[in-house]
Amino acid sequence: MEKVIEIKNLTKSYGNGRGISDINLDIYKGDIFGFLGPNGAGKTTAMKIMTGLVRPEHGDVKILGYSVTEQYEKAMAKVGCLIEIAESYHYLSAYDNLKQLARYYPGIDHSRIEEVLELTGMLRFKHEKPKKFSLGMKQRLGLAAAVLSRPKVVILDEPLNGLDVEGMIDIRKMIQNLAEKEETTFFISSHLIHDVELTCNRIGVIYNGKILNVESTSTILKNYATLENYFVSEVERNGRISSSAS
Amino acid sequence: MVVFQAALLNELEKLYKKKKVLVGILLSLAVIVIGQLVIVGVRSGFGLRGTGSVEFPMLVLSVVVNTILPLFTALVTIDSFSGEFTQNSMRITLTRPVSRFKVYTAKIMAIVLFILGALLLLLVFSLLAGFIFNTNSATLDSLGRTVFSYLVSLFPMTVLALAIALLANILRSGIAVFFVSILTFLGLTVLSVLFSQYSGLFLTTHLDWYNLFLVNSFPLLKILRQFLIMLGYGIMFFTAGFYIFDKKEF
Repeated sequence: MEKVIEIKNLTKSYGNGRGISDINLDIYKGDIFGFLGPNGAGKTTAMKIMTGLVRPEHGDVKILGYSVTEQYEKAMAKVGCLIEIAESYHYLSAYDNLKQLARYYPGIDHSRIEEVLELTGMLRFKHEKPKKFSLGMKQRLGLAAAVLSRPKVVILDEPLNGLDVEGMIDIRKMIQNLAEKEETTFFISSHLIHDVELTCNRIGVIYNGKILNVESTSTILKNYATLENYFVSEVERNGRISSSAS
Repeated sequence: MVVFQAALLNELEKLYKKKKVLVGILLSLAVIVIGQLVIVGVRSGFGLRGTGSVEFPMLVLSVVVNTILPLFTALVTIDSFSGEFTQNSMRITLTRPVSRFKVYTAKIMAIVLFILGALLLLLVFSLLAGFIFNTNSATLDSLGRTVFSYLVSLFPMTVLALAIALLANILRSGIAVFFVSILTFLGLTVLSVLFSQYSGLFLTTHLDWYNLFLVNSFPLLKILRQFLIMLGYGIMFFTAGFYIFDKKEF
């Protein structure tokens, strides 16, 4: 299977003692990879390094064979992402926000912008400015921006934040649809464990900055009743080990 | 190059859509109108001769290079950097396939184009006002000198923008950058009076370097010296500013 994202020995520590240490992960083509972990475990740090917002102390991330730290433009050429809160320029309309981004990708024109706005249910707000948008609407616009360039890899940090039930279902369908039809690879972090169970086909658990386990969703569900049970048992097992060690 | 063009176009669109350009036009116009009214008032009220048709644009230039132009440069630069840092909107651009060097350069370039636009606008309006209100005949030579003076004023303003961009990358808050810029500006102005023998080293004294080009003897060496000092400052400010920008975490 073709490796799309290759994370090697990724380490980054912050002054407050948090961060990630020695993370290794391989994500394959067509995967919808769910990245689970408690608050402060290092999910966002890892994703920020993957998208070049933060530099690692050691290690590297390769996306489609290109190093994020050394060949940034090539590595990001086929990547769409949404990190933490969906940001947008509040003085530009939803359409103009996407037009700004479209300029970085050849072949992304007016019709594609309309298409992603339609896909995320934002078409009727295209001339409105995001300063009047609700959190869910901003999130939808952020998701539209992430898939705008027809990316081969999409990195989403808490994509369902602020979305209503209908929005969650829409976005889940969109993700599954893109993964199936266009073989887009997804790397998604979320707190909403039930949604991860429904959407993702592989799960990685991160705890205290370290990867505990990577397993396919179907294997997990053979051994555990729900993903939640698996997650709790993984975290508890590790919490016990680290607390008994200290 | 295509990526850089995209980044530059985006920066220009942001400047334009933020209504900054409109405010710029209005302020430039206000300077000219007020200046012209003062001159007309002085002339009719006291029977004094104000300025000739080509002298008026020079009067406008001498006022704006030390007042609204540096202020405008500061505001636009602070907005372009600190504004995006605090709103986290820097991430929008930085997660796209564009290197940080291109983003930084595009931002600076957009600011330079903005200052150039403001200078050209002031030039056109003040020339028009000069021709309408002052009937003195202008020679082609003096017109050429006026246009040249406006154009060379872009250079010290660019260095100023680079200095403020560096500050904006060091300090996170836009207000802090603004105050530090103003205090430094005033400090340097005072220092250049107190230590006039070293004033050639201070950026603030370079803002009206266009005067050097108007002297009949044409002090080539002095012009070259000032040019090199400014170039040196510019390169240092750009390098230091980019270095910090490149290391920043968002």
